[in-house]
Formats: sequence, structure tokens, C-alpha cells
Amino acid sequence: MNHGPLIAAGAFVSLACSWAALVMAPQVQLGSLAPAPIPNTSDVHPANRPGLAAQGAEVYRSLGCYQCHTRQVRQDALLYGARLVDRGSNASTINLELPGSGRTNLVNFNLLIALAKSRADLGITPVAVPAVLAADTNVAPVLKEFAAELKLLKQFDNKAQIVRSTSKTVNDLAATLPVEVLERTGPDEAERAVKLINDAGGKAELVIYNLGPDIERGWGARRSVARDFVNDSPVLLGSLRAGPDLACLGSRAPEKFAAPWKFASTNLASEMEQRLLIHLYNPRLVAPASTCPSAKYLFATKQPEQRFAGEPLQVPGSDKPVYPRHDARALVAYLLDQRLDVGLPEAPVTKPSVPAKIAAAPAKP
Amino acid sequence: MTAPQTSPPAACATAPSAVAAEASCRLPVLFFAFSSATWLLFGAVLALLSSIQLYQPTFMEGCPWVTYGRLRPAAVNSLVYGFALQAAFGLALWLIARLGRVELTNPLGLFIAGKFWNLAVTVGVIGILAGDATGFDLLEFPLYAALPLFASYACIGAWALITLKARTERTLYVSLWFVLASLLWFPWILSSAQGLLLGWRVPGVVQAIVAGWFGNNLLQVVLIGMALAVMFYFVPKVVARPLHSQSLAQNGFWLLLLIGGWTGLSQLSAVPAWIPAVSGAANVLLVVPVVVLTYNLYRTADGGIAEAWKRSGVFRFVTVAVVLLLLVTLRNAVFGIGPGARYTQFTYFAGARTDIMVLGVFGLAALGALHYIVPRLTVAQDELPSEGLVDLAFWASVVGVVSVAIGYSFAGLTQAAVGAMADRNFLGEAVTGVAGHLKLVTFGYGAIGIGALAFLVNFALALRRCCAACCGGVR
Ligand code: HEC
Repeated sequence: MNHGPLIAAGAFVSLACSWAALVMAPQVQLGSLAPAPIPNTSDVHPANRPGLAAQGAEVYRSLGCYQCHTRQVRQDALLYGARLVDRGSNASTINLELPGSGRTNLVNFNLLIALAKSRADLGITPVAVPAVLAADTNVAPVLKEFAAELKLLKQFDNKAQIVRSTSKTVNDLAATLPVEVLERTGPDEAERAVKLINDAGGKAELVIYNLGPDIERGWGARRSVARDFVNDSPVLLGSLRAGPDLACLGSRAPEKFAAPWKFASTNLASEMEQRLLIHLYNPRLVAPASTCPSAKYLFATKQPEQRFAGEPLQVPGSDKPVYPRHDARALVAYLLDQRLDVGLPEAPVTKPSVPAKIAAAPAKP
Repeated sequence: MTAPQTSPPAACATAPSAVAAEASCRLPVLFFAFSSATWLLFGAVLALLSSIQLYQPTFMEGCPWVTYGRLRPAAVNSLVYGFALQAAFGLALWLIARLGRVELTNPLGLFIAGKFWNLAVTVGVIGILAGDATGFDLLEFPLYAALPLFASYACIGAWALITLKARTERTLYVSLWFVLASLLWFPWILSSAQGLLLGWRVPGVVQAIVAGWFGNNLLQVVLIGMALAVMFYFVPKVVARPLHSQSLAQNGFWLLLLIGGWTGLSQLSAVPAWIPAVSGAANVLLVVPVVVLTYNLYRTADGGIAEAWKRSGVFRFVTVAVVLLLLVTLRNAVFGIGPGARYTQFTYFAGARTDIMVLGVFGLAALGALHYIVPRLTVAQDELPSEGLVDLAFWASVVGVVSVAIGYSFAGLTQAAVGAMADRNFLGEAVTGVAGHLKLVTFGYGAIGIGALAFLVNFALALRRCCAACCGGVR
């Protein structure tokens, strides 16, 4: 190897390979990524930042907040579930109370079969129908069909060697609504259950479980993906978590902050803003052990000329208010703009309408 | 002292003496050596101050210029562009002149370009402290510093390559392969990254990927390459034996170039999963060239290590750097892929890679080499005037690097354990709970600063002796 040009050419080729793979290829893959529409709304995610928040992004960069805070929520697994929200009523739904009693006890027989098909572990009990009803010309065919379906199910169970529980039944499962029919399974199984239930006249929705310590901690409803950053420049992902992740600070629950707190009023947005301004002014006022640097220099102690003054900020432990400068307001607007509660095709979310019963005890922040 | 002036073709034929070749290095190389050590001292002080803020947030509070978010990137960029790259230029020039038996082309131009480089780094660091950082790791210098930086490098790199072309010793020794690769690699990655990030502004997370690619190439190929150049020069030289195997060196060299550019991106999360996966595989594969290269060095020195360690200051520096290179590569192979990478992601543990590579592997190798080069260029001896200060520089630097590495690593492992369990208290365990480890880091940066200071004092002593000799002679 005594020829310089040979070595130069070799180095050139090596570097070109890594350049093509790690610079060109990502650009080709991600270069045309665009915000995605949010279902059932006219909005897109990520939305264009309003002017103030865009200025706040510059303050965030300039003060180097990304040196201690990441904006990348991770997740370990994406699982699915099916939730029954309505038993529905159709031709196979029968009121088990006697006519004229004034009460209703509707049972959707098809739904019971659908639930039994979705949950191979649960038993299914034949429904006791008062004799008067069973003779009804509307009811008799339904009961007959139910009996036939039960028989088919039994045959299928035997073939597949499914042993159903005798104490826990789908009849009980469907008694209270809404209820999780399937929890933390694969997408196919959950989608099948939803389809079975919907076909049986009931109403079910697909539930999505984003799992992992970051999400359990309340740092975001789902993982961050490339699309979340298409409007950012520079993209400040951060690489060190000296402090909590901020990817979803705007929609973080108060009890999920590093120093948990509670909303005192119903004016949630302005309370959150107040809180963040105070944190910015001196983090030790809200989290005594915090190592987050104070940004006191973003606040004026003297009241600025009236026209430019925003709301003064009452700081705990001091009777004199301070006046957040424009940069402080912009930075807070930027922080409030951080959200991951919106689903994307590649990173879906659902808002649980009931607190998932099997979820681990609420995480300490 | 310089070789007699002859017409160009004849100059090629008659090699300048080693003394003449070295004499041509004096101005630029001493300049690079001095200013890089000064930046090392400065960067270590900034890093020390910023590390205090991690557990003592009221320290230097209240002024945006020295808030952690600015002080830390200022420190890292001082260390990388001020110390490491500048030392690399000095070493590259000296190795080319020495191994190629050639006088440097345009030493004065190199000196002036070096001045401009320093100016650009100074402007860049002030820019970061003023709040103009770009937000990209290892590329934080704002455009108004980045462009002059590139321009000065263009001159330095071009003159270095012209010198290499004009060498009279046609055989390219292993060290010069690495020097050549680093010299070519750096402008490409720098122009490519700056063009895409500051010029064209690629969209979205591609920015983070490009910045990560740049940072990794800078560390893994440019700086580690220069460190290997130093190692391959000094190990055989100090033990006075030929290199164990030329072909092993060749294989290691090519593998390092082929794989090195792919590593280091396993720390990104909000990107397509194939990127950290590919990069993680490269982290593991990189063990092969590094083991091959270090084994080659080991076999070269085997049997003479203990004796060389006692006798030679350079050898001590270089040996520790080789060991660190091996360790950091293994660490990266284990914690750079799959669950290991996931576990330590976003912690001080992962971040420490930069510190270990810049200050440990490259830093120790470069400081060692400068301890040999500076006395040769000043007082024409192999050792600096004060042996005590050489020892101090060595031990302080080694203790410093090890403290920084251990402090960050343990702090990072604590963070990782807390991060993996949602029911553990973040503020109590992962923030205030790592203060002890971070104090070790502060101590480490302090020790590194002392090491740099000891070298600078020794440098000054050598300069004084040199001046006394010259000026005394005139009077
Ligand atoms: C030295 C590292 C560091 C820097 C730099 C830093 N922070 Fe923090 N930050 C922390 C730590 C540690 C916490 C957790 C304790 C707390 O709540 O204050 C935190 C918490 C926060 C929180 C509350 C989040 C939560 O979940 O409780 C916000 C908001 C925040 N920081 C904003 C910022 C902003 C804005 C900047 C830039 C001006 C910044 N931080 C710079 C370390 C840092």
C-alpha cells in the first residue's frame, strides 16, 4: 500500500457507502413525510406551530434545554384489545321480563355467541327464558337459533380442545358496560372480536395499548415517531434525560410531572401555563430537589411599560410579582405545544374510556 | 539548517535530512500543539463548571451565557474542535514530514490557517455561549463560525496532502494510511453535514440522523484514525522493533474504514427502526478491526512492554490509549445494540462515549505524542525539560479520563435502572440520586485540566530553554 491515491480511493468508497446508507437512504425514506390528518377532524398532526410557539422553539434551542431533556418517548410493545361499549338491539335481542311488567332486561343472543367466540376461556350459560315468553312467535326462532349456535360452538370447542370456565361466563361479562372483552392481544385477534361483536349487533371498539416504562410514567400516550418532527427545524430530539422527557409536556397530567401537583380550578390551560412559568422562573419553587436551571433572566422584576406587559406572575414565597418577558411566554407556549396524544397511522392511540382495570398501580413519577 | 535549495526534480531525489524535515514543522506544529493544549485546558474547565451545575443548579445561576445548556456544548466543541482536531492537524503534519522524509509545504501558510482555525473556534464558542448554537451534537458552531472553520481546514488539509505527495520516502507507513484517511474523511463529513443541516435544511428527523452520522464519523474514523496513526508510529519506535504484521494492519485499516462510518447511530429513537439496528450491528462488527489492530500493536511490543513503560513517557500515554480504545469498543458493542442500547439510551452512560473517545483514546494518544514532538522541535531532545511534570501530566490525565468515564457510566447505569421501571422515582433516584457519580466526573475534568496545565508549563519551559539557547548564542 504505497500508493496514496489507492488509499484515498478506498477511503472515498468506504465513506460513500456509509453516506449512501445513513444519509441518503433516510432522506429518501423520510424526506417527503407530511403531517397526517387526525381522524374525524379537519386538523392534522403535527400542526403548524403558532407564531409564539415557533419563537419558543428558538428560545429552547438557544438556552440548550435539549442538553438535558429528550423529546423522544419510547415504547416496548404495541398491543390491541376489544372493548364492548353497547350490547345493541336487533332481531335477536329479547326482553326477558314479562310483557306488561314495565321492566326491561334485554339480552342479545347473537352477542353472547360472538363474545363466546372471542373469548375461548369464558363459559356461556343457556339463558333461562320464562315459559310464557318462549312460546312467543318472535322469541321461539331466536331461541332455536341460539340453541343451534351453542351446539355448533360446543362441537368446535371439542375439536379445538377448548375447555371453558364454568364459573366465569360471557353472560356475566356483558352485564356491565363498557367492558374490556380482550386485553393486550395481537391486532388480528382484537379486530376479529370487534368484527364479531359488531356483526352481532353490538358495538365494540378497538383498544390500543402502548406499553413501556416511558408511557407508564405518563410521558406520552405513544412513542414519538419521525412524523412528529416534520415541522421542526432544527430538530431537537435530545440525547440525555437529565430531566424528564418533554415530548408530550403539553398534555401531561399534573400528577405525572416530576414533582406532581393538582389543578386547583377548572381553568386548566391557564393554570398549566402559570405552573410552567413558575417552573421556568425557579424550578426549585415547584420541585425543591430539581436541578433544572432557573431562567430568571426571562423575567423582569419591574413592571414594563404598560402596553407591553402581559399578566404579572405571582411567585410563591414572594409578595412582589414578576413580569414574564416575551421569550418566557414563547418558551412556555412551545412547551404547551408538545403533544403525543394524537394517533398516527404508524403510531396509533386510543383514549381509554374506562381506566384499564389491569393497568399496573399508578406509577410514581 | 534547511536543506540546500535545489531545483524541484532534484529535491525529490535527494531526501532532506530528518533534522531539516523537522525544522520545517517547527512553526506550524508547535503552534498547533500549544493551542490545542490550551483549548484542552479551557474545555476541561468549561466541562468542569458545567458538570457542577448538574448537581448544584444554583451554581453560576442567573446568567444565560453560562447556563448548562450553553456551557456544556461550548465545552464539548472546545474539546473537539479546539483540542482534538487541532492536535490531530499538528500530529498529521509532523507524521507526514517525519515518515515521508519531506519538508512541509508552506509552513507559514499552515501557521496562518491555524490561526484562522483558532479564531473560528473562538468565535464559535462565543456564539454558543451567546445562544447561537445550531442544536446539533458536535456541530453546534453557528454558520458564521462553521464556514471560516471549513475554509481554514481546506488550506491545512490541502497543504498537508501536497506535502504528502512530495514525500521522498515513497513507502507509506501504516500511520500515514490513517493520517491520509482522516485528512480526506474530515472535509467530506463536515461539508456534507453542514451543507445538509445549515444550508439545505433537510426536513425532520433526517437532521438528527445526519448530525449523528457526522458526529460518529468524526469520533470513530477521524479521531480514532489519528489516534491509531500515533499508536502505530510510537509503539514500534519505542520498543525498537518492526511492526508485527503489515497485512494485519492493512486488514484492520480497511475494516475500520468500512465499518467505522456506520456505527454510533443506535442512540436515536424517533427514527425508522432499521437505522439503530444497522448501526448497532456495525457497533458489534467494529470489534473485529479494533481487536486486529490492537493485537498487532500488542504483538509488536510483547516482551518489551514493561521496560518501555518505565523508560518512555510517550509509551505510557499510548499504552493507556490503546487499552481504552479496546474497552470503549467493547463497551459500545455490548451497549450499542438491541436491549443493551435500549437500556442505556438517553443516559450519561451513552453520552460518555464522546468523552472517552475524545479525551481518553484520542486525547491520551495525542498528549503522549506531543510530549515527544514538542521537545524535539524546541530543544532537540526526546523528553521535555521537567520529568516530574511529564509524570504529573500523565497521571492527572489518566486519572481524569478514568474518573470521567466511571462517573458518567455509573450515573448512567443508575439512570437506566430507574428509566426501565416506571414505578421508580425519577426525581429522587435518577436526578438527585446520581449526584455522587457526577462529582467524580467534576473531579475527572479537573484532573484532565491539571494534566493539560502540566504539559503547557513543560512546553513553556522547553520554549524558554530553546529561546535562551538561540538568543544566548546571538548575544
Ligand atoms: C441541567 C439539566 C437541565 C436543563 C439544562 C434543563 N432542565 Fe428542565 N428539568 C431538569 C430536571 C432534573 C427536571 C426534573 C425536576 C423538575 O421538575 O424541576 C426538569 C424538569 C423540567 C420540567 C418539568 C417536567 C416534568 O415532567 O416535571 C420542565 C417543563 C422543564 N424542565 C423545562 C426546561 C426548559 C424549558 C429548559 C431550558 C431553559 C430546561 N428545562 C433545561 C433538568 C434540566
